[in-house]
Amino acid sequence: MRNKLRNLGNGFLLLTVLTGLLYSGNATAQNICPLDTLKPTKVNDLEAFARIPVLNEGRIKPMETFAKSFLLRLSGRRSYGKESALEWFARFIFAPRTTYRDQIFLINNPEILEAIKVDPEKRRRYSWRQLEPGYDKIKELAEVLMDIDEKELSAVEREILRVYSNLGYYIRISGAFAYAFPHPDFDLTSPEIKEKLGLATDRDKFSFYDLYVVTDKLEAAAMVLRGGDVQQWSEEGKTVARLINAMYFWTEHYGNAPFGVIPTVRYEEESWLSPMDIMRLNVDQEAYFDEITHIRNMTVYYWNGEQLQFNIAAKAYLDSVGKRLSPKEKEQYDRFGLELFYNDFNGFLWAKLGYGLAFMFLLFSLLSSRPWLSRTAAVLAVAGFVPHLIAQILRILIMARPPVSNLFETFIFVGLIAVILGFILEWVNRNSLGLTIASVSGLIFLTIASKFGGDGDTLKVLVAVLDSNFWLSTHVITITIGYAGCCVGGIMGHIYVLQALFDSKNTKRLNATLNNTLGILGFGLTTTFLGTALGGIWADQSWGRFWGWDPKENGALMIVLWVALLFHMRLAKLIHPLGVAVGSILTLIVVMWAWFGVNLLSVGLHSYGFTSGIAMGLITYVLFELVFLAVTVFVLGKKGMKI
Amino acid sequence: MTSKFRQKLRKIKLLQALASLRITCLGIFLLFLLTLWGTIAQVQSGLYLAQERFFHSFYFLVLGFIPFPGGQLVMWILFINVLAVMLIRFVYSWKNFGILVIHIGLLMFFVSGYVILNTAEESHVTLKEGQATNVSSAFHDWELAIWEAPPERTDGKVIRTVTGVDVARLKINQPLPMEDSGIIIKLLEYHRNANAYAVNDGDSRYLNASGVQKIEAAKLEKEPERNTPGIILEVTTPEGSSHVILYGAERIPTPIEAGGKTYHLSLRLKRYPMPFTLKLVEFIKEEHPGTQTARSFKSKVAVDTGGQWREKPITMNNPLRHREYTFYQSSFSVDQFRNESSTLAVVRNHGRVLPYISTFVTFAGLVIHFAMAAVNTRKRQRQGAPHAK
Repeated sequence: MRNKLRNLGNGFLLLTVLTGLLYSGNATAQNICPLDTLKPTKVNDLEAFARIPVLNEGRIKPMETFAKSFLLRLSGRRSYGKESALEWFARFIFAPRTTYRDQIFLINNPEILEAIKVDPEKRRRYSWRQLEPGYDKIKELAEVLMDIDEKELSAVEREILRVYSNLGYYIRISGAFAYAFPHPDFDLTSPEIKEKLGLATDRDKFSFYDLYVVTDKLEAAAMVLRGGDVQQWSEEGKTVARLINAMYFWTEHYGNAPFGVIPTVRYEEESWLSPMDIMRLNVDQEAYFDEITHIRNMTVYYWNGEQLQFNIAAKAYLDSVGKRLSPKEKEQYDRFGLELFYNDFNGFLWAKLGYGLAFMFLLFSLLSSRPWLSRTAAVLAVAGFVPHLIAQILRILIMARPPVSNLFETFIFVGLIAVILGFILEWVNRNSLGLTIASVSGLIFLTIASKFGGDGDTLKVLVAVLDSNFWLSTHVITITIGYAGCCVGGIMGHIYVLQALFDSKNTKRLNATLNNTLGILGFGLTTTFLGTALGGIWADQSWGRFWGWDPKENGALMIVLWVALLFHMRLAKLIHPLGVAVGSILTLIVVMWAWFGVNLLSVGLHSYGFTSGIAMGLITYVLFELVFLAVTVFVLGKKGMKI
Repeated sequence: MTSKFRQKLRKIKLLQALASLRITCLGIFLLFLLTLWGTIAQVQSGLYLAQERFFHSFYFLVLGFIPFPGGQLVMWILFINVLAVMLIRFVYSWKNFGILVIHIGLLMFFVSGYVILNTAEESHVTLKEGQATNVSSAFHDWELAIWEAPPERTDGKVIRTVTGVDVARLKINQPLPMEDSGIIIKLLEYHRNANAYAVNDGDSRYLNASGVQKIEAAKLEKEPERNTPGIILEVTTPEGSSHVILYGAERIPTPIEAGGKTYHLSLRLKRYPMPFTLKLVEFIKEEHPGTQTARSFKSKVAVDTGGQWREKPITMNNPLRHREYTFYQSSFSVDQFRNESSTLAVVRNHGRVLPYISTFVTFAGLVIHFAMAAVNTRKRQRQGAPHAK
């Protein structure tokens, strides 16, 4: 089984030159796969498949996570119709042809569709079949754009690049297991050659894999042709040359698939390769060949719908890979159970549900003062909090690092802290105010977070400067708690203004809300200050300066200054209670600026990378808020309240 | 007694004005505004220039003619304001203990900022594996260096005494005698960023070893490291006076005769001698598997501590501290022969613990104050209004 393609390679050079006429090597992925009309029987239970480790974006993750992020990247959805991401992905990887009509490519911008002359779909999702005729056009457009600095690109141009890269990603991965399918390239009718190569004589269709197994014999058969005149080759010789040439073409065509499933060590570095790359690069090891065979078997059993055999092949594959992992890899692999549980658990969805229902009950309790309404709301809020907390803890355990390192994670975490702050307020005041804060902020932050999970796997590796470190963890966590505190202060400001609008005479209630607002802002100020200063300490440890007026540092400083300004203006009697409320609402804007607004400037040392769509959202929010404030201040001014 | 003293102070009009809370509010607001403005300005002009214009300055001009207070001025005002409040307004009581601590911490922050701004030196060393040095060079501060040329080609070590003059501190048209040599230099022109040309209309009037005959001011770069300065000097020696051009990108110094000796002049990045030698033993870079995302950089260095080498690995968040120097991993490069060299940032900072202490004090104050406020509010609520059923 060893030294397969290396020997073959010797013959290749000569043969490829000679046989160029026999085989025009101009096919693309979609032309190679023969299984256009056939349908796989499919297997139903993919549990073992879900656990197969994939190295992707620097992290070893279970196939299920990879499948989810793959589908999410392409379509912006976590499932395809009734199929789960994993089911869809299994169909895609084992039987790519069956997905060609699946509308999975999300294209937001109609101008792209005009450019490639495709009719826009209502759901903005398109199938490979629809886009294929326009692929060359997209490629042409994208290649021009690649040389341009990302900042200069317009929204359409970015979308073109995104769609192009998604199409490429889809095509390249679609062929990762192609070696296991029978294909016309390897059709073989002559019984003599079949016998010579040791292939099954009762069929004519073979796969790349079938021939790969008999490379030695194929090579021996090719030796005869060496040096001979191509015109005088026998039919048999021509067939052998065709097969070898096809194999050579396949290794080139399907090589470099971004789908690392087989762990190897190259140049002393961990490097995971796709099966085809293992065969192409001729990495010698029994285990590799076994693993390639297991995958091939899985493919076959998937097609035949043989569940038991499929599971056995998958388990055998897992066994083989599991044995070869380095201790560090093993550690990540052992946490797969947690990760799969996290994937299934969908904690944030349940949390959103709990918070949403709690909020509804709170609204009802405004209409009627039956105590069971707010009690139910309390129970629901806690019911939302528990899965929120569990999911957060799971994330920390899976990644073995602090919970806050990208925008998605900050939203989850800020939401959690805001809910806790709400509960504390409720515990102190027992007037449903804290509950409202908890359910509203939980709902809002988790909803925003789910918008940011949109680029695939939300569990990401860290760049060097963010590598786990005491100051990083403390700095980022405290500053995020600070954001949460200030956000809750801002929400309280809204509540104050609304209470004043509905009942400006109820000064007792207003004062209580004001005191709570100030208390929360004080908390926010303290934690933001600490977070900022810890950031300074971290910067001093890493770069040798405590403070450098970097945009992110400035953002945090602005929160501190703004809240300090509020307190001092109140002390100097420059503003009235309504002014404090308005100021705390404006704090929200300052927090947004510090939190992700500065990232839009794309300068400085901090950036957790994200899309530009957020800019519009931010601007819309700010405008909306300012209009709201202008109107309420005007109305309340009529009622005699001063800012 | 103290209160009598404070009574007296309270009568001083100026102190009253300085202790106004309105000044505090204005100061905080201005600082808020400057911070926002200085952040946005970084998109256009880069961190360094924005920092100079908005934060380190006393004032700057908007649209070229409207003066606007700069960060340093605002912070001075706030500093004085806090001091004045503490002198005449502040009520010293247990209730205000937290607030007092907060503001002491803030005063310490201002002091730290001042000390660090005026004393910290930032420079860097770039070493190949196996190389050692005891000199670090500035990132973007330039000096005019003068030294006596070695008498003739000599083998082995030559120790030369270099006189370095900080270019930013030279004043135009002010003669500056260089000790011993009898040379007097006078700065005629100085451009922080300049283009150099070999041709000049008319006769060649300038002395320059690399043939530069003309320098022209160029727009300042976003990154100050990319500026190449140029100066024109009048150099007076016992033999007479001549005009010299020095350009930052020159490889060779310009020689000049004075009193029978040859001196070399050069415009170069400021050098800082270190009282010890640092050697790069090995540089190691790791990546996350299958990606270009760097997982860690590590420079194994050794410090000469009086004849003994102490080894220490420097990583991203783990610098080497030796005496008042701190060495950080800054960047690295690999040349075409795969030779790795590592750049370490060198910071010499006597005040580096100050912000740490200030942070601690301020934070403690904030905690004390808001915890006490929370408890008090709760008490008041309990006393004022028992829970309504």
